[in-house]
Amino acid sequence: MDINMTEDVQNSLKDEGFKIEEIQELIEKAESTGTKLKHKSEGTFIAKEDFENLTRYAVYTTSDGELTLCSVYAHKMNINGPTGGNIHDVEYDDKSEWICQKCNEAALERNVDLSYMGVTRPGPALVCPDCGEIYVSEGVAKTLKTAEGILEEKRA
Amino acid sequence: MEQIDTVKSLCPECLRKIEGIKYVEDGKVYIGKECEEHGKFTILISRDVEHYKKMENCYEAERAKPKAFLNNAEKGCPFDCGLCPSHKQDTCIAVLEVTSRCDMGCTFCFANSTSSGNDPDMATIKKMFETVKQCSNDPTCVQISGGEPTLRNDLPEIIKLGRDMGISHIELNTNGNRLADDPGFLNEIVDAGIDAIYLGFDGISDEIYDKRHKKMNFSKKAQVIDRCEKVGIGVVLVPLVSRDYNLHEVGKIIDFASSKVPTVRGVHFQPVFFSGRYPSEEGRITIFDLLEEVEDQMEGKLKITNFTPSLMPHAHCGATCLVVVDEYGNFIPLTNISLGAVESTSDIARKTKNSIMGRWKGMDESSSCCSKEVEVKSSCCTQKLEIKSSCCSKSDQENKLNSDFSNGWADFIELSKENYLTISAMGFQDAWTYEQDRVENCCIHVVTENGKFIPFCNYNLTNCKGEYLYRNAG
Repeated sequence: MDINMTEDVQNSLKDEGFKIEEIQELIEKAESTGTKLKHKSEGTFIAKEDFENLTRYAVYTTSDGELTLCSVYAHKMNINGPTGGNIHDVEYDDKSEWICQKCNEAALERNVDLSYMGVTRPGPALVCPDCGEIYVSEGVAKTLKTAEGILEEKRA
Repeated sequence: MEQIDTVKSLCPECLRKIEGIKYVEDGKVYIGKECEEHGKFTILISRDVEHYKKMENCYEAERAKPKAFLNNAEKGCPFDCGLCPSHKQDTCIAVLEVTSRCDMGCTFCFANSTSSGNDPDMATIKKMFETVKQCSNDPTCVQISGGEPTLRNDLPEIIKLGRDMGISHIELNTNGNRLADDPGFLNEIVDAGIDAIYLGFDGISDEIYDKRHKKMNFSKKAQVIDRCEKVGIGVVLVPLVSRDYNLHEVGKIIDFASSKVPTVRGVHFQPVFFSGRYPSEEGRITIFDLLEEVEDQMEGKLKITNFTPSLMPHAHCGATCLVVVDEYGNFIPLTNISLGAVESTSDIARKTKNSIMGRWKGMDESSSCCSKEVEVKSSCCTQKLEIKSSCCSKSDQENKLNSDFSNGWADFIELSKENYLTISAMGFQDAWTYEQDRVENCCIHVVTENGKFIPFCNYNLTNCKGEYLYRNAG
């Protein structure tokens, strides 16, 4: 699969330590398993892949069989699950603009518990009410990265 | 009885160099040594050999050598201080005593200060600052000490001199008496450029201060902190700790400190060591015992395992832990010895200096809630990252969520920038517990009036009769 990307995106891949083959693999897996979100109107996808101590995301669009990579990001924090456990008490309209591609359901904007180095705190995420897949947005991942850095730096 | 090491130590009676051994008996670690003239000496250095070994294994790091040596090695450590070429570690903080006078007359005083003495003049102090610049690598950190530095009316000029000469960080070691009574003086010191206050603080009960000097009580110490809060300067609480004196209050001291975050940046426990003046030879407490008391009194909020060996010269010189204090007064410890050894080796003195500067500076007055740059210090460099705090997240939904769950990760970052407490313990050595290996790696250097650098424990070392090796020795 050919992936188009601007030079900026190519540079950010290098900065984040992603290899193009890894992104290709991530997207291919997401395409076949449906572990991705699709934006309701804009047609952008967020695909994710869980590794042991890392979760990686790729944001991309497709048109006429061509795939354009918009950005990549990751977080080391482990997603424990929805804060409070239960995702079925919908108190207000918290459906997001993103549709889970496994279940065709709108992902909900919910707080989830995220842990790193023994510290657990909540953070906002997108949760599919059907299959329970949880995605962290790029903006939130940036926050998590800073928090991870603080924890790592203070370790010794 | 199992020997684990040899130790180069001293005789507490005559201070001659004697070789001893470090050994384990009943799970405890001891130093045993013998002077041909004065007999055998045995000192307990840890009640838990497993903890002792864990601290040792926890880190291995590179050390930078001092920038310059001022003496030759002739008689061998500790007799050639200046520093001598055998010294292995750069300065992380230089102690600059601007007076030997003090008005408290404390029962415990490693400097054996009294109300009389001749203060060094400004020319001498200038020379002392010059020595710091000559012998220690940048960034240079100085602790103004004494005696009691606030007895000098020209203290603001001294601080300004240090700043003008390019010293990167200057903190003031003080009992706080004058700062409580004379807020104008505090303002002058702050205007002159002091970075932090290192405040003697033995407890929250007046009976403790009665035992020490009867001249300041708890509310006066608290007043110093409140004044510092108003002028935006950070404070580190420095309790001397001794059994039967204030050991029972270590938990309360930490709780009090956490209630005064972010003005109070840390608590730096100093277990009693028998140099200088002290009421009796009782009350010695090891770092491990102190940490055990802390865990006990804090009822699990802090554990022994949260303490790692300090960014210090030697695994057994000190233990540190860093906690973020959240909006509810809960402790989120960031450090844990079980997280293992540091992956990157880095220059200890420089890292300690950066810690001192980063953690103990005054507060940022421009604490706006919106997007701002946070400096994330890693071991080799400092990155700037832009953070949008919880009130400025992308969507309204996120805002709502963040306000419902204000203890999220975005707030953690805000909290960790300011609402943290460094809790540490530093075990200074005396003639009984002396280990040459530790002294050779010491990074706390006293700069003397005649322009020499001397490791702290050596500078304050006295024999059992109270006779100093270096202090007041000319």
